[in-house]
Amino acid sequence: MDGIAGTSLLAWRNLAHDRARFAATIIGVVFAVMLMGVQLGLLVGFTRTTSGLVDHTDADLWITPAGTTNLDIAGRLELRRRHEALGVPGVARVDPLMMQFGFWTRPDGGSESVGIVGFDPATGQGAPWSLAEGAIADLQQDDAVVIDRLYAGKLGVRAIGDTVEINRRRARVVGFTQGIRTFTQSPYVFTHHRNALRLAGFPDTQTTYLLVRTTAGADAEVVRRALKQRLGAVDVWHARDLARQAQTYWMITTGAGSALLLAASLGLIVGIVIVGQTLYATTMDRLPEYATLRAIGAPNAYLNRVILKQAAISAVFGYTGGMAAVLAVVALSSRTNVAVAMPPWLALLLAILTILMCALGAVVSVRRLIRIDPTTVFQ
Amino acid sequence: MSGGHVVRLAGARVVYGHGATAFEALRGIDLTIRAGELTLLLGPSGSGKTTLLQVMGCLLRPTGGEVELFGQALAGRGPEALAQLRLRHVGFVFQHYNLFPTLRAWENVAIALDLKQVPRARQRAVAGDLLERLGLGDRQAHFPAELSGGQKQRVAIARALAGRPELLLADEPTAALDGRTGQEVAGVLHALAHQDGCAVVVVSHDPRMERFGDRILHLEDGHLKDDRRPPRPPDPPLSPP
Repeated sequence: MDGIAGTSLLAWRNLAHDRARFAATIIGVVFAVMLMGVQLGLLVGFTRTTSGLVDHTDADLWITPAGTTNLDIAGRLELRRRHEALGVPGVARVDPLMMQFGFWTRPDGGSESVGIVGFDPATGQGAPWSLAEGAIADLQQDDAVVIDRLYAGKLGVRAIGDTVEINRRRARVVGFTQGIRTFTQSPYVFTHHRNALRLAGFPDTQTTYLLVRTTAGADAEVVRRALKQRLGAVDVWHARDLARQAQTYWMITTGAGSALLLAASLGLIVGIVIVGQTLYATTMDRLPEYATLRAIGAPNAYLNRVILKQAAISAVFGYTGGMAAVLAVVALSSRTNVAVAMPPWLALLLAILTILMCALGAVVSVRRLIRIDPTTVFQ
Repeated sequence: MSGGHVVRLAGARVVYGHGATAFEALRGIDLTIRAGELTLLLGPSGSGKTTLLQVMGCLLRPTGGEVELFGQALAGRGPEALAQLRLRHVGFVFQHYNLFPTLRAWENVAIALDLKQVPRARQRAVAGDLLERLGLGDRQAHFPAELSGGQKQRVAIARALAGRPELLLADEPTAALDGRTGQEVAGVLHALAHQDGCAVVVVSHDPRMERFGDRILHLEDGHLKDDRRPPRPPDPPLSPP
């Protein structure tokens, strides 16, 4: 090594010299990153589950009963509306989709709430998106249903072929999906649309949603307005708007998202306090050295860079450890019905939050150094 | 060898505190420090020696009077501007060395080079040359805790010299050293004044330092009581580089 980046070297040596304190700082940052990462990951995971049904269809527009606030709690639509919709210019296809809560009776006699999702296997619109066992074609059978493996234990199902009751009507499990979670924790039970009508006790003239595909080149907004005008007392949504509405309803209106954000904020605050406290203690220990630097002509910016680089080093180590822990939680959660998601953009956001946390933790030390008196070197 | 004016004080006063608790550490000092001289600042504890050193080193602005460093008045300059003046012109040597304990000897010197924005590629060589010159060629990679008191003080002198100062201010540089090592350090400071043309000001209680002073100032109760130039034999011829 021919030379030194003085501030980087001092920052590193200051931290590394007191390994116990450095370890305490890193553990604190790891804990804060983990807390923020898991809570934000839960928020993203839950948010995704609230709009899963919309996100996994290729419909351009959704026709819903008037006043619909989310996908899980649905009113009723007359099926004849499908034919009215097909008459609107720009509409290529309209498929019904049922969604209704029901009571699942386990083989042991216990009951669970489930979300019955009925779709037309011929079109696949609204079909389960991660079938792990069985085939969509099996749902052509009258009593056939598909559930997710994550909820199999909860629903008392051990294998394909098990029979249960939904709303006191017989149902038979013909397949399993893997990883289709629900925000309400009432598992989705996928079945043929006509079977869903039967299980939910709907007349065969009704459904809950109509999914619209527009013709190639059609302006979806123009079609949406035309559908609204033609059908009257229904809501017509762009798919992305309905997804956002569902997310907003569950995460904001119910307060569930606020609780997760509050916990993530607590992680941020804990991190700021830990980094601030340990950096300040290190700074106070080395005050004579900072006074010496100031005495020999170091500008304030030079001293501040030492502190900020210590914060940056803590951030890098803490983020690396924290992310490793978060990714372990993400991997573990993939086997549970609680989804912790960590998309790349969230990992980046977490890195920014970690840097911000450590920088804010450094503020107290920086403020102390700005007031340092270089004449103390003579004491 | 003596040169131009490096520091000029005219009626410099320093008062610590306010009102009934005010204490006047310097009471109107008139003084000029020249290049190429080792000036010794003597006086009892509390006489104002260190305060005078701090004023000359731009660490402390006087309460009254005028102070100029290389013709530039200190009055009205903020802390950052004073730090800039120190960085450009002044080197410090402290009684307790004030080395950075987590840095090796050469890194302690390189910090001063880094502050002066010497390119990194040159720092190791320059720091090595300075330490070599001060007899620490084989101690460059040692941490301060692995050095003797005299070696630490020589590292501190190397750090002070790294910035090529025109004014070197030393506060009790031999106080913590044994007799032989103290003499060696005093000799180094003397050589800096006489060979490098640096203005060296040394605060000391150490009577052994007196024979190295070109000029001896005596402070008492914040007043300059005595300013004399002891007769001395001419410098020995300089050794070839």
